[in-house]
Amino acid sequence: MARLLVVDDEASIRLLYAQELGEDGHDIVTAGTAVEAAEKLKGEHFDLIVLDIKLKNESGLDLLQKIVKERHDMPVILCTAFSCYKDDFSAWLADGYVVKSSDLQELKDEIKRVLEKKKAARG
Amino acid sequence: MDWTCCWHKDVIAPEECPYIEGGEEYLYAAQRRRILEKCLECPRFTVDIQRMRDSGEQLAPLFSILTNEFLDMRIRLQSMDGFLNSKTREIRFLHELNTVLQTSMDLDEILSVAMTAITAGKGFGMNRAFLLMCDKEQQYLRGYLGVGPRTYDEAWHIWEEVSRNDLSLKEMARQFQINKLSSEKVKFHDILERLTIPLSDQDHILNRALREKRPIMVEDAFHNSQVNFQFAQTLGVDSFLVMPLVSSNRRIGVIIADNCITHRPITQQDIQSLETFAFPVGFALVRASLYERLQEEVDKLTVANRKLQEQQELIVKMEKMALVGRITSSIAHSIRNPLMVIGGFARSLLKDVTVDDPKKEYLGSIVQEARQLEDVLEEILNYSESLYPVKDRWDINQVVAGICRELQDRFEAEQCGCQMELANELPMLFIDYKQISYCIRTILSSALDYRVRGGKIIVKTWHEGDAVLVCVDDRFSTLTTSAWDSLVTPFAETQELGVGVGLPLCRTILEKSGHRLSLENLPEGGIRYIIQLLQHKEE
Repeated sequence: MARLLVVDDEASIRLLYAQELGEDGHDIVTAGTAVEAAEKLKGEHFDLIVLDIKLKNESGLDLLQKIVKERHDMPVILCTAFSCYKDDFSAWLADGYVVKSSDLQELKDEIKRVLEKKKAARG
Repeated sequence: MDWTCCWHKDVIAPEECPYIEGGEEYLYAAQRRRILEKCLECPRFTVDIQRMRDSGEQLAPLFSILTNEFLDMRIRLQSMDGFLNSKTREIRFLHELNTVLQTSMDLDEILSVAMTAITAGKGFGMNRAFLLMCDKEQQYLRGYLGVGPRTYDEAWHIWEEVSRNDLSLKEMARQFQINKLSSEKVKFHDILERLTIPLSDQDHILNRALREKRPIMVEDAFHNSQVNFQFAQTLGVDSFLVMPLVSSNRRIGVIIADNCITHRPITQQDIQSLETFAFPVGFALVRASLYERLQEEVDKLTVANRKLQEQQELIVKMEKMALVGRITSSIAHSIRNPLMVIGGFARSLLKDVTVDDPKKEYLGSIVQEARQLEDVLEEILNYSESLYPVKDRWDINQVVAGICRELQDRFEAEQCGCQMELANELPMLFIDYKQISYCIRTILSSALDYRVRGGKIIVKTWHEGDAVLVCVDDRFSTLTTSAWDSLVTPFAETQELGVGVGLPLCRTILEKSGHRLSLENLPEGGIRYIIQLLQHKEE
């Protein structure tokens, strides 16, 4: 399966993602801050990033712009508690947008969709 | 000596002087006044003087000389008195006229006063006058107003009415403006139409008067080589005066005045008086016209100001709504994350418990309650988001002009001119201001990024069918192939972002709202960006 980087400032949520997405066979790496995520992105390979918008004292959207500029082939799914950013132009840079829910099925489906699309694009 | 005249008597009886008329009875007992007013011109007094001469009275010839001299002097005095009276009336008339002309800003009032002054007996006493005005484009001298009678019957009717009412010039002009200004325009419509001439017709007598800035008295118009025969026929008079109205070298118009009814000759005095009068009229007309334009601009500004105020109120309202939204959103975030963790782990645990495990029911309850709370939260958030008034009616020209102003420094830095060709009277568009201004700004910024220095960018707007188009023409643009590609590839699938994410994002934004962004190669080189904004109805 795929290697995913999950970026969220809440440890419980990172733990939940790791458990639930790991059960689907993905290799999950987590980061609690934008800096930590940027460091991991430099040294490791990832197939997809699951990114929260509201990070502590940082904006996930800023990190998204940086990722798009530097690693424009890297798919990113925004997973956030805010549904309002869906209409924010900068959020449109992401490949997917999922509103956080206790039922992670929507996120799982979106990850599947984006990975398949990426695969198809590479031929 | 027996005198035939009563000059030597202190008091006389009524039958002694047949020349004293009713109302002059005081002269019976006023010898001095009677001699001066009656006797010196009385035939009996002449007889008495002759008798004195015949009797050898040496003073008789002296009496005769003194009497004649006195009578001559009196005639001259009366004449001067009459002249002075007429000049006093003229000064009063001009004063009255100038007061109105100097204080009025109303074009119709000025025209009414001027035309009444020319045609009224209390004014210059001409029978008829036409005013022709130069149009704004200074292309034509157009017949604007005619005043006066068209027939003898009408003339007598008007003059009888004027003498019956005995109004001052100001009152007459006021009455004219209220009751006759429009009807006179209609009455002389045919003549005014035929009098209209192009200002380029240098040989025409009216243009000559304007060019030479002096009045021209036309005599024998039907046989005058300097007067167009048809023009003379239109006026239908042999002689008329052409008075140019010029102010600070600006051609304002022409007054044509004639005596079509009485055929009284137009004197040099008439010409001089009208010439003196023409200057303040011309000045007043220019001032009124400038004032009218100023008023139009003030009205436009007032409307713009009101719109601005409305927009400001809208922005304040939007800010308030946005604040409510932000607060709600923030609360939602604080609740949603713990809910996700609680519900998520409960779901996770639920997957591992066996069917008969007593914990299964508890975990199921947690999952169910968490789900319910999430639904409630979603409803609250949906409601708070619905409070955002995202779309509104906007004047796209204002949006474009505002962005061009905002980017002025960048234009200057790129040594690039910005020419706006914004169509008038575009329909208001029901758009999201933030989105559309973001797109226009991004297109202009991209154009500035990918061009060689110099030249200019032309921003145009126009209305076409159901859409308003915003077009950015840049002949100096050197957009790369990858930039072209990024525009034809949907934003979410854009792989090549070397030119920045702006343009594909603009395209996505516009398409999401039902608008369009396209690019064309200009035949003379360069690129044309076209935003097609559809006129959506307000939801």
